[in-house]
Amino acid sequence: MSIKPKIAYQPRASWLHSLHPLIKLCWLAGLSISLFVVSSPLWVVTVLLLAVGSFPLAGLNLRRDVRGVRFLTTMGVLLFSLQAVFNHTGSPILDMAWGPANLLITGGGIAAGVYVGGRFLSLVLMSYLFVLTTDPSSLAYALMQIGLPYRYGFVLITALRLAPIFEVESNTVYQAQLTRGVKYDVRSPRKFVTLARQLILPLLVSALSKVDALAVSMEGRCFGKYSTRTYRRTTRYTRRDILALVLLAVGLIAVAWIAPPRL
Amino acid sequence: MIRIRDLSFKFHGSETHALDHVSLDIKPGEFVVVTGPSGCGKSTLALALGGYLFRQYAGEACGEVTVDGLSTREAEIFDIAEIVGLVQQNPEAQLCTLTVADEVAFGLENRRMPKATIEERSEWALEIVGALHLFDRPLATLSGGEKQKVAIAAMMAAKPQVLIFDEPTSNLDPTATGEIFKVIQHIREKAGITVIVIEHKLGYLKPFRPRVVTMEQGRIVSDGQDTTHFPRFENAFEPTLCSLPKSSNGRVACTEHLTVDYGNAPVLDDVSLDLHAGEFVAVMGDNGCGKTTLLRCLMGLLKPQGGRVEILGQDAGEVPVSSLAREVGFIFQNPDHQLFAESVWDEAIFAPRNFGQLHEGTSQRVAQLLKRCRLDQYRENHPYRLSYGEKRRLNLASILSYEPRLILLDEILIGQDNQNATMIMDLLKEQTARGKTVVNVTHDPQTTFRYSDRILFLKGGRILLDAPISEAIGRLADLGLTDYLPNGRAERHSSK
Repeated sequence: MSIKPKIAYQPRASWLHSLHPLIKLCWLAGLSISLFVVSSPLWVVTVLLLAVGSFPLAGLNLRRDVRGVRFLTTMGVLLFSLQAVFNHTGSPILDMAWGPANLLITGGGIAAGVYVGGRFLSLVLMSYLFVLTTDPSSLAYALMQIGLPYRYGFVLITALRLAPIFEVESNTVYQAQLTRGVKYDVRSPRKFVTLARQLILPLLVSALSKVDALAVSMEGRCFGKYSTRTYRRTTRYTRRDILALVLLAVGLIAVAWIAPPRL
Repeated sequence: MIRIRDLSFKFHGSETHALDHVSLDIKPGEFVVVTGPSGCGKSTLALALGGYLFRQYAGEACGEVTVDGLSTREAEIFDIAEIVGLVQQNPEAQLCTLTVADEVAFGLENRRMPKATIEERSEWALEIVGALHLFDRPLATLSGGEKQKVAIAAMMAAKPQVLIFDEPTSNLDPTATGEIFKVIQHIREKAGITVIVIEHKLGYLKPFRPRVVTMEQGRIVSDGQDTTHFPRFENAFEPTLCSLPKSSNGRVACTEHLTVDYGNAPVLDDVSLDLHAGEFVAVMGDNGCGKTTLLRCLMGLLKPQGGRVEILGQDAGEVPVSSLAREVGFIFQNPDHQLFAESVWDEAIFAPRNFGQLHEGTSQRVAQLLKRCRLDQYRENHPYRLSYGEKRRLNLASILSYEPRLILLDEILIGQDNQNATMIMDLLKEQTARGKTVVNVTHDPQTTFRYSDRILFLKGGRILLDAPISEAIGRLADLGLTDYLPNGRAERHSSK
């Protein structure tokens, strides 16, 4: 059976893909923090548009490559609408009455809606963009080369390697139970515990046996022998990376100057 | 090079010795095959040679193991690793990075070698296993055989003096198996290192004339170039003719233009077939050709993108799996994925209990099955305490206990020695004699041609060959698929 993770790096030849993973991480962190400290709905909208616009520029399609994009959009719109309808701070923009019902939309409510819904969508889409355009092993190697202890770096790499395998295995265990007549439509808590145990135990045993094999394989190749290691793969910064970093810094300084942060 | 003296080891909680007064000397450059029934201590011996047994496993050890003068009981794993490399059974579980280049470089980077040396050694190691063309590939895109080649290259890159292979082909198809053994022989010739292979499939190794060490119950029982152990069923081999004409039996299941894909290329492409009562069908083909997917469709576990599957007159897409399961038994590839109960007895009776089939006859039947599967003495043991081969036999007992009409098996013989493999196949043959249908995904030509009535050979998701056993040998040979013919048969056919 093919192993295909739900959210995974999508190799393309775009400018965003070719950026250094740490520069992309800086952009993700910088913009995410700015969403919460810069008090401007316009900035939130700008970041959201930037995130949405980057998808086609990176050769990605929001509908095809982002799982649950309809759900995310609905959530964003819902969060915006709730604030717009129920938050009545600021001056009224719209005041309509139908009998006993009254719809009051205020400037403060709209701004709050943009903050909540826009931040949610921006954060999720930027995170997706980062994951879809960044080779996770390149990120891990880049982090190790700037000082992350390599044992932690390889926790990330082995997790990335094993996570899809465990996903497939959990599905197999579930199917194996079905083939032996186990029914999952029970409502008794006791039966639920039994089913959970029957599902978790085989997975745990399988995981432990893999960990054993992996430990033998890694120790047999001297993993942990020294406190540091060398790397075949070295990630270099290009002019484009430096330009992207400068652009981020200038952008953040400019927006902080125009709309001073609430710290 | 290797000196073992009076080595014994008993795992914590076990009543018997995994290794029992083992003594063995291996000279530099020797090619040694260690064989024996499942659970006889072969893999434990490999772990002892690498030093892992004494550090990662709790138990009582005595005796002495030295490799190139270094005691593996006392030395650091890292120091032993400079001399001994261990390639394990499952390539999936021993690869720890995401790309071929990173995997082969991993051990060299840990040894703090300079970048230029890492690149030079990585290329050398991949070249020696014939996998240099895979250098830039992500591991997730490789076949099982390619992954095993990468695992071997990853060990070879450190240039060990001894390379141990613990059943390196148990998950591979005959084509990949043949390739891996050629790689092992090539390594031995080019690098001149000592090679120890733990293996059941001795037929493949016969041309290399290795020294054969046979173990039983933790002891070495023979040592030398003993060809009487080659191969599993060579002496007994005689293909049976298609015993039951299809037309005389009712149709149990069928697929019509079945098409399945997992998002990329189709895994099954326009597969149409009928399965009849009393048939013993072997499904063969290279890894990734769609064999397991076909079984999953026949169980109703996968909904096809095209075509339909009918099982016992019902459309598999419209009936819940738990309902189909009363009539269809399925054994998955990994035995651990289908052990749910607290004891061997409870496991064997798990399905009849779920199906409400418990009566006096059931207990008797389950007891007989456990006895037949040589598990009777473990009735009260937890299933996870059994060996791999024993778990596999428990899986079989667990489905035969409710007497399904269609029995689907995914590589049931992995981890079985000759005696147990024969017992399993005899038991299945008896099921077909009683009108049950057996569909057996297998990589073992010996048992296939001895027991099956019909061969279904898949290639690239399509049926390449669907023929009774009497015709299959000639047609497989004509197609150039001689790796899928029993030992000796390919040579006989080609000499005609």
